[in-house]
Amino acid sequence: MSTARVVAWRELRDNWLTGRGLALMFGFSILLSLATYLAATNEALTFLEQRESLALVLKVAVTVGGLLVVLWCADAISGERERATLEGLLLTPASRRGIVVGKGLSALSLWFAAYLCALPYLWILGRGVSRLGEVLLAGLVVGTLLALFLAGLGMLLSIWSGSQRASLALALLLLVALHAPAMMPTSALRGWSGELVRRLDPFTGGLPYLDQMVLTGHPIGQDLGLLLVPVVAALVLPAVAVLAAGRIRLLTGGRG
Amino acid sequence: MPAITSHGLRKTYGGTVAVESLDFAVARGTILGFLGPNGAGKTTAIRMLSTILEPDAGSFSVAGIPHTDPVQIRRRIGVLPESAGYPATQTAQEWLTYHAELFGSPARAAAATATRLLGEVGLAGRAGSQIGTMSRGMRQRLGIARALVNDPEVVFLDEPTLGLDPAGQGQVLQLVTSVARERGVTVVLSTHLLAEVEQVCDRVLILNRGRLVSEGTIAETVSRGAVHVQAALLEVPAEQREQALELLQRNGIGAASADAGRLREAFLALTEDQP
Repeated sequence: MSTARVVAWRELRDNWLTGRGLALMFGFSILLSLATYLAATNEALTFLEQRESLALVLKVAVTVGGLLVVLWCADAISGERERATLEGLLLTPASRRGIVVGKGLSALSLWFAAYLCALPYLWILGRGVSRLGEVLLAGLVVGTLLALFLAGLGMLLSIWSGSQRASLALALLLLVALHAPAMMPTSALRGWSGELVRRLDPFTGGLPYLDQMVLTGHPIGQDLGLLLVPVVAALVLPAVAVLAAGRIRLLTGGRG
Repeated sequence: MPAITSHGLRKTYGGTVAVESLDFAVARGTILGFLGPNGAGKTTAIRMLSTILEPDAGSFSVAGIPHTDPVQIRRRIGVLPESAGYPATQTAQEWLTYHAELFGSPARAAAATATRLLGEVGLAGRAGSQIGTMSRGMRQRLGIARALVNDPEVVFLDEPTLGLDPAGQGQVLQLVTSVARERGVTVVLSTHLLAEVEQVCDRVLILNRGRLVSEGTIAETVSRGAVHVQAALLEVPAEQREQALELLQRNGIGAASADAGRLREAFLALTEDQP
């Protein structure tokens, strides 16, 4: 785990001291401000209830936080490959798995920073909502599960992809595809295919769990069954990515 | 025991053979010029020997470690890859420290190693500069410093002078010589600067189309090249010999002989079937 620690520390410094992480958080804050403003004005016009506003912004925070993680991880190896810095890393005796774990841990810091940024918005929108503390805790738990799943997914794409653009585009496409069913009304997910999506997509478990807590006031322990798929996905995808890390290759030959 | 041995090393990409039946041995402390035209398989061979690529067939050992133990080989080698990339926003000191840590040095020792090596490659004054602000020559010297962070027994330098001006080329070659002589390490130097190879290298290995076409001292290689040219000339009818010589000279292949031949002429003669 020494490699993972060294890589994570280096990546954290690069992410947060050179401004890329801070720039992303700035963009995230602007997006969240916009979402909060729209939710609050709709609430004032009684188009939305307060709980609906809170649920909307909470889900935006979780989803966009996950988006940052998946994109960061999708760039982690393919980006190094494209910048011709991967060979230098592979030439060290450091384990490939340690490198992937270190990069994944560093990417997760984006989710935690994003959620920290979202807390003031959620607190303002949720003033007076019962069990707000539990809702915020549930947001952290669900967001962390989804971030772990997306970190594993992004890392796998990055390991197998020959180009940074391809891995980033695929990551974005998959995130949209996975997120879409969770945004559909329940009636749209009928039949065996709908049931399959509901059972396999971590978003259709995680986001409705938050809806149940915020909109219908369920306590944190009531709908834990919905978190089964997100928990499994959060364990399996990162584990597969770590296993696949042993196969990290340059993919191209030299000119000489 | 040799620093490097290679037996029947082979690598293909799809249907293209990059390296075929590569057999050679390099004694410890040697500076080996690793030559060949573009696409000859030099980088592929270096990547196999540095355990970045798995060979399709054959075996090798580096620093006495068999190819079946790649992690131990990586602990004992230093590599400056062809067209190495550098993180633009890290400082030279940070980057070297990071790599020393990846080789297992504790943070404080890694920082001390980085400082020492930056001094050795003449970049002490730029330790705190972001790598993105450095010239290509400085980055190559930094790359050589990175190749030395683990105090290696064998160093592979893949075209370290690529894209450098004559002054930069001179600095890098001087650095290579001092690294080899002062540290006593074995250096495999892939380059196209044949005049400098003659000055710096003890032995020369020439690859063409993935195959070894010559291996030996500079004198042996020049002699082999001369024989190659003369053998070719013998097939030319006597009355056309003068005309053939002129034609060869116009195309950069002189009438090399063991006495007057140069490495460049021998190299061209030995690799003349390159399309």
